[in-house]
Amino acid sequence: MAGKHKKVMLIDDNEVDLKINSKIITISKLFEEIIVCQSGDEALTYLNKHQDDDERLPDFILLDIQMPEMDGFEFLEVFKRFPDRLKEKCLVAILSSTLDFGDIKKAEANPYVIKLLKKPLFPKELEQLLGKYFS
Amino acid sequence: MSTIRVLYIDDEENNLTAFKAGFRRQYEIYTATSAADGQKILENVDIQVIIADQKMPKITGVDFFKSISKTHPDPVRILLTGYTDIEALADAINHGDIYRYITKPWNDLELHNSIKNAYDAYVAKIELRDKIAELEKTNDELNRFIYSISHELRAPLVSAMGIVNVVKMEGLFDSCGEYWGLIETCANKLDYYIQKTLQYYKNHKTTSDISSVDFNKLIQELIDLYSYTDKDTHFHVEIRQNTEFYGDAFRIEVILGNLISNAIKYQKEDETNKKVVISVDVQREAVEIVISDNGMGILNEHLEKIFTQFFKAKTNQGTGLGLFIVKEALNKINGKIAVSSGLSEGTTFKITIPNGR
Repeated sequence: MAGKHKKVMLIDDNEVDLKINSKIITISKLFEEIIVCQSGDEALTYLNKHQDDDERLPDFILLDIQMPEMDGFEFLEVFKRFPDRLKEKCLVAILSSTLDFGDIKKAEANPYVIKLLKKPLFPKELEQLLGKYFS
Repeated sequence: MSTIRVLYIDDEENNLTAFKAGFRRQYEIYTATSAADGQKILENVDIQVIIADQKMPKITGVDFFKSISKTHPDPVRILLTGYTDIEALADAINHGDIYRYITKPWNDLELHNSIKNAYDAYVAKIELRDKIAELEKTNDELNRFIYSISHELRAPLVSAMGIVNVVKMEGLFDSCGEYWGLIETCANKLDYYIQKTLQYYKNHKTTSDISSVDFNKLIQELIDLYSYTDKDTHFHVEIRQNTEFYGDAFRIEVILGNLISNAIKYQKEDETNKKVVISVDVQREAVEIVISDNGMGILNEHLEKIFTQFFKAKTNQGTGLGLFIVKEALNKINGKIAVSSGLSEGTTFKITIPNGR
């Protein structure tokens, strides 16, 4: 499984969660490298900068919803303007603690979101999801 | 009670003088000889009752009332007229939003009573409006509170649960005796309470939002969600849905989610074949859902109480909220529930929800 999906990008304003989720991904060896972004803006800057460099681009993005300034949905609004090639390479899943029915429905309805994962992140759940998309 | 502020508009000054003479001790009286002057007073004084003569040179009393219906909707209106004019009367009732119709020459007692009643109507109207505004504010705050519970309050708890997961993955879970396990139990319990509290409030507040419901998908999602922590239970699912079902997706999910998680939770520990059977039958008029388990069952004398808030049996670790929420949610969507159970044999819940197509 390793090698096929190498890079994951975590977008979350919560440092504790970034630390926990990085740790979970490292221990479970689901990815080789983790790109940590503390805001949607930081993530967009990264994606913009490396949009022609497949080696640098993440294969998978775990996106939080509740973030100050740019929330997850606003990030997706900008993300959808990237070329199709990039969107096909960088799959997006939402990772949030939300229980808000509206948020959940909105996430499920977004065409660029392959799945809504709920915090806390369970490695098995992530592995199953990756198995579906990277086989 | 403060003095009632009355505005009286009449082109005949004699009437104004007579009115003042008769009522100046009871009311704070403002008078005007034309609609235009009356309008000016309204703009400067907080008038509670307006009396207007119907027959004035430039504009009729009813037309005057119509003209201020947007700008001054609150003062209560009384129409005075010197002759019985059916047309004016009909117009007054239909368009002028007029509280009383009094013929000239007026009887002092009758007019006095009318003004008093009009004032009471005014007070009731204002009070109602204030109460509505207050209620809307409370509702708004409650909505924000619910939203903040689901985010701000829960996010750090979920982080703590994540830390426990990392501890498990690093093999440290048993490194401090049972402490990590106790932290996990507490965190899970708190999370459960938060989830149930949210469900309760959302059920209480939200109006029904009807959409198409796919039971195959919904039941599978719920089973995946709740069987995550318990892989021992076997599910037998039978869904007959040949016709579209329209219903309140949020409440149906809450109802089935609670029942399915209960069926998993209240198993017998020593049972080797833990089993939950779910059958869904969608008809044109309604859907019938049966969820039964071979778990610990419910004492006969408890059966009537299980749907009441905070009822819990001594023998299990429930919160007394799950089934209460199920019942409340069903009430909102005109659903019905029936339960039968045998102690250590299992429990069967049967739900009927009308199809909103």
